[in-house]
Amino acid sequence: MHDHYPTGTVRALLQSDLVTEATRQVLVDRLQQNEVVIPQFFNAQLFVTLKAVCARLIPQPATQERVDLAGTLDRFAAEGKGNGWRYDVLPPDEETYKKGVAAIDETSTLHFGLPFHLLATENQDEVLQQIQNGTAPGATWLIIPAPVFFEELLAALVEIYYSHPFGKEEIGDASMADKKGWQKIGLNELQIQEPKRLNKGVDDN
Amino acid sequence: MTTKPTTNNTIGRAPNLYGQLVPMQLFSPEETVDAVVIGTGAGGAPLLARLAKAGLKVVALEAGEHWAPARDFATDEQEQSKLFWMDERLAAGKDPIHFGKNNSGIGVGGSTLHYTAFVPRPQQDDFQLYSEFGVGVNWPLTYNDLSPYFDELETFLGISGPSPYPWGSLRNAPYPLPPLPLNGAAQLMKRGCDSLGIRTSPAPNAAASKAYYQKEIGWRSACSNRGYCQAGCSTGAKASMDVTYIPLAIKYGAEVRSKSFVTTFDTTSTGAISSVVYTHQGVEYRQKCKNVFLCAGAIETPRLLLINNLANSSGQVGKNFMAHTGLQIWGQFEDDVRPYKGIPGGLISEDTHRPKGADFAGGYLLQSIGIMPVTYASQVARARKLWGPDLMEFMRGYNHAAGINILGECLPDERNFLELSNEYDRRGLPKPRIQFSNGPNEVRMTAHGEKIMHEIWTAAGATDIWSYKRNPHTIGTCRMGPDKHNAVVDSEGRSFDIPNLFIADNSIFPSTLSVNPALTIMALSLRIADCFLKKKNKVGT
Repeated sequence: MHDHYPTGTVRALLQSDLVTEATRQVLVDRLQQNEVVIPQFFNAQLFVTLKAVCARLIPQPATQERVDLAGTLDRFAAEGKGNGWRYDVLPPDEETYKKGVAAIDETSTLHFGLPFHLLATENQDEVLQQIQNGTAPGATWLIIPAPVFFEELLAALVEIYYSHPFGKEEIGDASMADKKGWQKIGLNELQIQEPKRLNKGVDDN
Repeated sequence: MTTKPTTNNTIGRAPNLYGQLVPMQLFSPEETVDAVVIGTGAGGAPLLARLAKAGLKVVALEAGEHWAPARDFATDEQEQSKLFWMDERLAAGKDPIHFGKNNSGIGVGGSTLHYTAFVPRPQQDDFQLYSEFGVGVNWPLTYNDLSPYFDELETFLGISGPSPYPWGSLRNAPYPLPPLPLNGAAQLMKRGCDSLGIRTSPAPNAAASKAYYQKEIGWRSACSNRGYCQAGCSTGAKASMDVTYIPLAIKYGAEVRSKSFVTTFDTTSTGAISSVVYTHQGVEYRQKCKNVFLCAGAIETPRLLLINNLANSSGQVGKNFMAHTGLQIWGQFEDDVRPYKGIPGGLISEDTHRPKGADFAGGYLLQSIGIMPVTYASQVARARKLWGPDLMEFMRGYNHAAGINILGECLPDERNFLELSNEYDRRGLPKPRIQFSNGPNEVRMTAHGEKIMHEIWTAAGATDIWSYKRNPHTIGTCRMGPDKHNAVVDSEGRSFDIPNLFIADNSIFPSTLSVNPALTIMALSLRIADCFLKKKNKVGT
C-alpha cells in the first residue's frame, strides 16, 4: 500500500502565511463552492446516472466531506469550458457528454435490465469495465467510441478531484504553499509545511 | 525624414509583473505603422523589441490578456488553464495530439508563459538532417547563422546552466548564471545514469538561479523552486516574454494590444497587406501597416492563412505538422521525491544525440521531469487506465513518483497536416483539424528511448515503471526553404507570395530539431528582424 496522509493539511495551510493571496483565493473559493442541486447542463435523469458513475470511478474516502464531482462537471459543461481539443472521432463535447452518459444507462439496461444507478456496485463496475474495454452493448457506442469516451470522462473527473483541497490532502500535496518557495528540494528533504505519511504499509480500509 | 502628424497618439499603460502600470506608447489604427506583429510569444516578442529599438513604429496584437503574474497567477493548475489556448482543435490521426494544456499558450508572452524554460541549444547536425541521413530536410540556414543569437539570448535572458556544457559546439561564453539546484527526479536520473555510464549534466534553464540584472529592464528575482513553471511563473524568475522582451519593446515605444484577435487582412491591388483586421472586445478594428509579422504559432498561423486563402501558392500552408517524440517513463521510488518542487527539467543528457548502432535517423535528449499533481493524475487516468480504489491508491504514491522523458526528432511527413474542418468555433471560425501519426522513424526512436529509460529507472531503484506516450510541441505547417514551390517563406521569414508578410514562429521550422523549440524560435525571431532591418535600411524606405 502507498502512503496515507493526514486530513486537513491543505485547509491548515490556507490559514497560514505560507500561501500567496492569489492561490488562497482560488482554493478557498473551491472549498466553499455550493453543491449543485439542480444541474444546468445534464437533465435530472442523466445527472443521477452521472453521480452514480462518479461514485464508482472516484470513490471518495468515507472519512472526509465529498467533492461535488458531478456538479462541478455539470458547471464546467454549462459554461462551455472545454480543454482546447477533442479527439476527432468524438462528436462535440456537449453531444458526447449527454449521449455518452445516456449510453451508460443504455448498456446497463441492455445488460442488467436496470438503469445504472439502481445496479449493485459490482454490476456497475462491470458496466464501466465493458465501456472502458470497448465491449459494452448499446447502439450509441457505434457513434461514440466507448473507450475514448471513458478516457475523456475519467480524465475530466480526476482533474476536478485532485484540483480540490480534499483531493490534494489525500495525496500529500503541499505545492500550494507557494509564498516562500522551497529551500529543500532534494530527495528525502522535507520542509515543515510538507505533510508526512502515516501508517506506511497499513491498509486503513 | 518627415514626421507624420501623431495627434492621435497618446500614452497608455501596461501592467508589469506586480500589476503596476508603466507608460506605453499608443498608436491610432488610422496611422500606418511600420509593422504589426501578430502574437507575443517566443516568435513575436523578440522581434517586436528589435524593431521598436530600431525606431520603427510597431504594434503587437495579442489574442489574450496582459497578466500581472505576481498578482494574477495562482499556484493552481485549474485556475492557470487561462494560460492555454482553449479554442477547440480536432485531434486526428493514429496519435492524436492533446492540445490545450501545456501545448499552446494565450496571453502576452504566448506559450513562454507556460514553458518549462528548458533551453539547450540545437546542435549543428540538427540543421542538416537530410545530408546526414538522406531523410527529413536540411534547413535553409545553419547553426552558425543562429549561434550569435543564441549567445545574445542566453546573456539577455539570464540562462542558468553548467560551464562547460558537455555536448555540442564549443561555446563563446559560459552561461551567465550557475545551474539551478537538482530536485528529486534530477537526482534519481543522475543515480541511474551514473550506474549505466551515461553522462548527465544540470540542464540549461531560462530561470534565474540568482537574482539577475537584465540589461535595460532591471532585476529579475532568483527562482524560488516553486515548481509550477508550466502553470506560469509568479515571481518573474522565469524568462518568459512578458518579463523580458515585452517590457523591452514597450520601453522602446512598441504598443502591445491585448485581447485583440486577428481575423483577416486588407490587401492592395498588388497583393500586399495594407491593414490587419482584428476584434477587440466585440468590436472590429483595422490597423493600417506597412509590414506584418505573423507569429501565432504552428496552429493559428496556418489557420489564419488558410481561412483567408493567403500566402499559399506553394500549397504548403498547413503541411508537415510535426511534434517531438517525447515518451515519458514514470516509476515509484522508496525515496520521498515531492515532484512539485524545483525546476521540472533539472537534469539533461545528450549522449543519445546520435546513439551508436541506432536504427533511426536523428536522435534525442534525455531529461528528468517533475510534475504538478493534476497533470500527473490526468496522465495516470489516461495511460494507466486505473479507476476506482486502484486509481486512488496509485495516486497516493504521487510524492514518490518521478519521471524522465526523451525529446527527439520528428521527421516531416506529408500525411501529417493541419486542415480547416467544417465545424465552427465560438468566434465563428472553422476549427482546425490536425492529423498526426508517428512514422516508422519516430516509432523506432521511441522504442530505443523507452528501453534506455527503463534501464535508467531500474538502475535508479524504480518499481512499477510505466510509459506515457506523448508528442509535445507544435512545429511545422509553414516551412521555410529555398524554393517557393515547396516552401511558404524564405530563410529570412519572408513570404514568397506576399512581399510585406513575414512569419516568425515554430511554424517555419522545416524539421523539429532534437531539442525544445523555444530558444530557436527566439533566435529566428531576432534574425528575421535583423534581416528585415538590413534590407529596409538598404532600400531606405
